[in-house]
Amino acid sequence: MKKIILSLCLLSGMTTFAQDLDSGNFFGNLESNSQWLQLDDGLDFDRQAFEGAQFKANNYLLLNYNLGKFTAGVQFESYLPDAILGYAPEYDGGNGIAHYYLNYKDETLDITGGNFYDQFGSGLLLRSWEDRQLGINNSIRGVRVNWSASDNLNLTGLYGQQRNGFEYSEGVIQGLDANFELSNALNIESVDLRFGASYVSRFQPQSLENPEAPENVNAVGARLDFVKGNVYGGIEANTKSKDVLFNEGILVSNKTYDGTSMQINLGYAQKGLGINSTFRRLENWSFYADREAQGNVYNQQILNYVPALSKQQDYLLTNIYVYNAQPGLFIDDVEQRSGEVGTQTDIYYSVKKGTKLGGKYGMKIAANFSYWSGLESEYNVQNRFYEAKFIGSGPRLFRDFNVEVKKKWSKRVNSVFTLQDVVVDKGVSLGGPVGTQGDIHATVAVAEATIKMQKSQSLRVVGQHLWAKKDRQNWMALVAEYNFNSRFSMYVYDNWNYREFGYDGEEKDIHYYNIGASYTKGRVRVAGNYGRQRGGLICVGGVCRFVPESNGLSATINVAF
Amino acid sequence: MKKIAFLFAILLTFNAFAQEELPNVSLKTLDGVDTTIIKEASKDNVVIVSLWATWCVPCIKELDAISEVYEEWQDETNVELLAVSVDDSRTVKRVKPLINGKGWEYDILLDTNNDLKRALGASTVPLTLLIKNGKIVYRHSGYTPGSENELYEKIQELSL
Repeated sequence: MKKIILSLCLLSGMTTFAQDLDSGNFFGNLESNSQWLQLDDGLDFDRQAFEGAQFKANNYLLLNYNLGKFTAGVQFESYLPDAILGYAPEYDGGNGIAHYYLNYKDETLDITGGNFYDQFGSGLLLRSWEDRQLGINNSIRGVRVNWSASDNLNLTGLYGQQRNGFEYSEGVIQGLDANFELSNALNIESVDLRFGASYVSRFQPQSLENPEAPENVNAVGARLDFVKGNVYGGIEANTKSKDVLFNEGILVSNKTYDGTSMQINLGYAQKGLGINSTFRRLENWSFYADREAQGNVYNQQILNYVPALSKQQDYLLTNIYVYNAQPGLFIDDVEQRSGEVGTQTDIYYSVKKGTKLGGKYGMKIAANFSYWSGLESEYNVQNRFYEAKFIGSGPRLFRDFNVEVKKKWSKRVNSVFTLQDVVVDKGVSLGGPVGTQGDIHATVAVAEATIKMQKSQSLRVVGQHLWAKKDRQNWMALVAEYNFNSRFSMYVYDNWNYREFGYDGEEKDIHYYNIGASYTKGRVRVAGNYGRQRGGLICVGGVCRFVPESNGLSATINVAF
Repeated sequence: MKKIAFLFAILLTFNAFAQEELPNVSLKTLDGVDTTIIKEASKDNVVIVSLWATWCVPCIKELDAISEVYEEWQDETNVELLAVSVDDSRTVKRVKPLINGKGWEYDILLDTNNDLKRALGASTVPLTLLIKNGKIVYRHSGYTPGSENELYEKIQELSL
């Protein structure tokens, strides 16, 4: 409480100051996410874990103050009495100033002291970011300098330690990143070329338990991107020096292993048509701010960004069987794998208005295909040795084909149809060893209609069905959403895992029902919902974590100022 | 209860000096050139800044809906739309084929590590801002079908 009063005094002090100068500017946001969990025996629910700990809340207050070229900010966070479900235990009960910075920025220089976020290239070498839905905040505390050395050259250097809950990681991170506009510099007009190079190193002292571990792990990478007319693409390749192998805090091997990653992208875009393909290969590509953090399920102290390259699905049932990238190396009796390789392609196409298929308003089609497999490798488990092929024919981990058709029928009626056929490895989707437990094949169909009423009122209805023979078999779901105006809306859904008609086996059929409402106006958004949440792999931006099933009341308040 | 009252007190205090200035944040154009939101959005006419993402269904609906009337809007009010994608590197490669496939005529900017999103305190997308003379004059988060009409009424007011 004292802290809050102090910060409030500080605030009012700051604002008077701001008003005096009449040029400062104050901004930030306040976010509160809370849960009141109910004990529900109809769910796969760990009663003991929740009795007496049913209320959970995350609160964030970010305050920034800008005066000319300087900006300062502080973020206060509290997770009292506990963090909401699925957050790393490091956050539970935490309360305090988590984060602060001072930044100077002019035309060519951008200097930050304190906590900062940054990303090199596609993030395969380094990314620090915040995702409150996922419980990731791996900002680095230290110094970051970004310098636009010339019109064609941009340089970044950073040094610091990564945040881990309310503490800081033991590893010290150094990074350098350079971006160079080749075409401009060399006066090439026929093609637009950009070159980038990055270096990231982690220093962590050796400890008595693992005297073999290298103190420095260095990673370097380079990338080249081009645009030529309607065609564009890029290639990125990275390598990481040798490091010992940990899994969830346990030393798996005293031997050291290096890692590589590679990503190639190629696309074509013209009016009415866009195509994009990506290929990626990862071998032993886990990179954490602390060597012992490797493989932790909460993504704590993760230093780079290795998202699943598959379509991010939007519906209740297309979100059940999703992919989670598998970059890590595992060599033990239970599990042997060394990375992943695969590809995905997206196509977007507009059928013109006035054609037979397009009708009066046209029609929009989006299709996506992705295929990911483990690396084909030979393992010598006893000696903790492996050898991987570049592509080979490793176990299939994920395959997805989906098509989405959007059509407007009249001024009032819009529809979306989605079909998805997906195969996912059981280990990826449900946990446990990957690539050895068999897979789940599912087909999903979704039909959505939006009907506009008077003024801004509208009704959205979604019907969905998932067919599967394994795991929890068949599902169906119905969503109805009513928008009273642009500010207030309500929804209700039932997501029913009915398995099969007339099912009377040992497992239960489960209804995941939910009802919610939201109100938003200007800078304020308030939302609440009540009901059951399906557990499992929850992914945001391609990064996933397992969340237990729950039932209860959730509330969110967000105010930006 | 005390806490709640306290929060409201904070809220009320803050509303008095709500953010009007555009934050000093760097973005990239679709071709990878560095720019800032201040540079791109400070114009005499009204500028719509829409934070969106390829994976955000209501965002796409909003931009699709505006796309159908965008020519009219431009003819009547000279308004411009800056669509700032908050896609991170997982999905940012979809931005170019998507806007082409959809035939959108907007200027596109990239906020790949969400610096602008953070600076605007936006927890969700879509977030729609109206900018006039470099100041944020209107702000709305979320999209419901038909709310583009309300947005346009605001634009007309501001364009007078």
